[in-house]
Amino acid sequence: MSAPHDTLCSQCLLPVGRRSMQRRLDGETHEFCCYGCCIAFQVKHGRGEESEAAWLLIRLGVGAFLAMNIMLISIVVYTGTFDGEDAGLLPWVHLLMWALATPAMIILGGPFLRDSWQDAARGQLSPSALIVIGAGAAYAYSVVSMFAGETRVYFDTASMVLLLFTVGRYLEAAGRARAARDLEPLLAAESEIATVLEDGLERPRPVREVTAGALVRVRPGERIPVDGMVIEGASLADEAVITGESRHVAKRVGSEVIAGSINIDGALLIRSSVEGTGTRWARICRSVRAALSHRGPTQRLADRIVALAIPFVLAASGLTVAYWARTLPFDEALLAGLAVLVVACPCAVGLAAPLATSLGIGRLARSGCLVRDPGVLETLASLRAIAFDKTGTLTSHAPQLASIDCNGVAQEQVLMRVAGLERYSPHPLARAVVAAAEAQGLQASLVDNVRARPGRGILGAAVDDLVAAGNASLMSEFGWPLPPALESRASALEESGHTILYAGWKGRVRALLVFDAPPLTEAAAALQALRDRNLLVTLLTGDLEGPARRLASVVGVEELRSGLMPEDKARAIADLRQQHGLVAMVGDGLNDGPVLAAADVGIAVGTATDLARETAALVLPVGGLWVLPWVIDVSRAVRRTIVTNLVWAFGYNLLALSAAALGLLQPIFAAAVMAGSSILVVANSLRLERLADPVPPPVARAAKRDPGTRRHVPIPTAAACRSVERV
Amino acid sequence: MIAYLVVFAAGFAGSLHCIGMCGGFACALGPARGGPRATALRHLLYNSGRLTSYCFLGALAGATGQFVCSTAGAQETPFQTMSADTIQRILAVVAGLLMVVMSLQFFGLLRSVHRATAGLSAIFSDALRQLLRAPGHAAPLAFGVLNGFLPCPLVYAFVAQAVATASALSGLLTMVAFGLGTFPAMLMMGGVGIVLRPSWRRRGVWVAGSFILALGLVTLGRGILPTGLLHGDHAI
Repeated sequence: MSAPHDTLCSQCLLPVGRRSMQRRLDGETHEFCCYGCCIAFQVKHGRGEESEAAWLLIRLGVGAFLAMNIMLISIVVYTGTFDGEDAGLLPWVHLLMWALATPAMIILGGPFLRDSWQDAARGQLSPSALIVIGAGAAYAYSVVSMFAGETRVYFDTASMVLLLFTVGRYLEAAGRARAARDLEPLLAAESEIATVLEDGLERPRPVREVTAGALVRVRPGERIPVDGMVIEGASLADEAVITGESRHVAKRVGSEVIAGSINIDGALLIRSSVEGTGTRWARICRSVRAALSHRGPTQRLADRIVALAIPFVLAASGLTVAYWARTLPFDEALLAGLAVLVVACPCAVGLAAPLATSLGIGRLARSGCLVRDPGVLETLASLRAIAFDKTGTLTSHAPQLASIDCNGVAQEQVLMRVAGLERYSPHPLARAVVAAAEAQGLQASLVDNVRARPGRGILGAAVDDLVAAGNASLMSEFGWPLPPALESRASALEESGHTILYAGWKGRVRALLVFDAPPLTEAAAALQALRDRNLLVTLLTGDLEGPARRLASVVGVEELRSGLMPEDKARAIADLRQQHGLVAMVGDGLNDGPVLAAADVGIAVGTATDLARETAALVLPVGGLWVLPWVIDVSRAVRRTIVTNLVWAFGYNLLALSAAALGLLQPIFAAAVMAGSSILVVANSLRLERLADPVPPPVARAAKRDPGTRRHVPIPTAAACRSVERV
Repeated sequence: MIAYLVVFAAGFAGSLHCIGMCGGFACALGPARGGPRATALRHLLYNSGRLTSYCFLGALAGATGQFVCSTAGAQETPFQTMSADTIQRILAVVAGLLMVVMSLQFFGLLRSVHRATAGLSAIFSDALRQLLRAPGHAAPLAFGVLNGFLPCPLVYAFVAQAVATASALSGLLTMVAFGLGTFPAMLMMGGVGIVLRPSWRRRGVWVAGSFILALGLVTLGRGILPTGLLHGDHAI
């Protein structure tokens, strides 16, 4: 019965929609969104002498042979060769044309008939039905008039309409397949075959069956199918699809490799670290698939229009025939009606949005930007304001522990306890604490029953007592007093714009952990680029006003709201929406989840935690803040393309429809015009492929070239514990 | 009539050029299993498929020319100042120039045009290869039909000529003459497996180029020179 709506066409990777076609080819079941894709897929993938593809090409060829011969004979007839004394031959010529046209109708019309029959069984009228009715009527009229001894037959119209639509659909599908090229690597995770080494033998296995710990052989030029570690060989890898990194990354024994990246030039043996379905690549694949099978708002509207248009076209065609039949001979009236039927086929309207959208998604994917809902592109294009979270988004992803102020305890002790607590948290500050403890060779204390308090901090049970690390409000929630020495330090540090983590246990605040998080080098340029695109740039942060203002002046933010709790941020987003229009929220980290969901578009940058990713509709690659202006450009280009496609398709349809209804358009010409309209929509959409690549700002490039610099800054030692002036 | 004979001759000489691609196809289509008669049938089907496509292109081109002339020449159009004759002259100039450009390519000039057409052919021909070995009579016929639409400078040159005739029937006849001209060489190569020595092939290409150049110049002349000067050629 009807195919599930979320499957994608094997040829062009667009959702198959309600009018899917199923074919078994070479032992596999394929779904196609249309007849054109069905042809194009078989032509491209057909192998072997008696493949279905060869058979299909034969049918096309023979059908074209018959249709063209009918056309040629008709031209000879129209030029008046049989007008004079040879008129007696005309019935025989008609008979010959009938003999050629009958197999042509069966060969070329069969697929269209099957298509419309399937839809009719589901109680729907498809565009194919219009073609079948048009060609069928021309054929039936010709047969009747031939046996009645009339002089006019229209076998040429009947067969050429079918031929032109077949060729048009093929060309359209071939163009659409180019849209799939960018998306293919992202969708391959489910179908790719990995070469698994088992008992010394190489066996092909689907990626989803690869288990953690399996040995996988990857030849040069192949896609690395699993996350893992290289245990033999050396090569370069292209990780652009996953990380957005455009340079090739060197891999040798011991290097980590990422599923989905391409192994460029050396054979590798890899030990997989997770199972095939658990890689980031596989997750991306699932979410891209889901995104493609959603329909954007424009597309839903277009679909509704197409569905409404078909009965309207049928009625218009009937009216045309009835109107002209009063003044003209019936065959001319019929031709005008057929032209209406053929030219009004709303194929191009149905194609306008999904093609442009999936090209846009593919184009973004090639640079590591993941779109999880096609509607996002349309929303982004009409965005008015964009709000940023501070930590890890505008500031460095890896804040470092600059110093620790202690009160009556050893700094090692502080570090061990807090590290024991924070190793359960994905927050950037938490990672900095854990890293600092590891660098000093300290063993993190055992802490269990760990709970996060979003926007406040984290707490857990150590051996002797409750341990907590977080901001001042978490401490006051417990009623833990702040020793005066620490209090004065804290206010001084906050004024100078540093981030502080309070740590306490046994009923007191014991230490201040001071973090240093410089603004990202590319942040100022990226925000400037966003302002150049007429977007209001705002900063929403849970930090105090001092540090927030300092950052705002460095990176250039127009509006600033600091000291916000997660709930306040959602309210701030609502405010922005009311004042300006559509709002996007760019965030990273545990606090952002609900805020990202509250915005019209939630954008997560790179190292976002999984929770943030679940609610973000757009995920940028690691360190990908600088790509954001380009993403806005792409989304605007996509919207522009959709609009021009729709204007073109509707305008063209209306013009051609009027011409046909006035009897100015021959049906054959109408069919050519209609096939041309779809091809123009495809060509217009394919211009999106030529969009420029994002250009990393020079500073971002410099930072990328040396990603380790920040991580190797000296770790606070006992000596630094008191000399906090260093920062 | 003479014009059609010139086209036929150009097709004949030009088909020696076809050895590059279509000839390769014809050879690959190879002999049929059922002996010489089956082989002959196989290649006749292939070539009639090809001929049909050429004829269709010719008729289409001629009809296009006719349409342009009749629409623009009609009294009530804004082109009133341009008579049908002027339009036909413009068509002749465009077609003539195209043919001259194509002919230059046969003399080894304008490599970029050649590369462009060759690249396009490669895309299509990959898809067609699977038809070569398919059994039955339908496959060679279908193969011929699709082969006829492969980009080829020789075909372009004569399609340009067909447009200039400004008549569907004359366009069709031009391509019939051309298509029949290519028959001997293609049948010989495919059916009998005779492949000419490279030196002969080169000569054939030069001859074809000369014919096309001559036809192109005549067509150009019809557009530029006063009426009557090339009286004998008004058939095309």
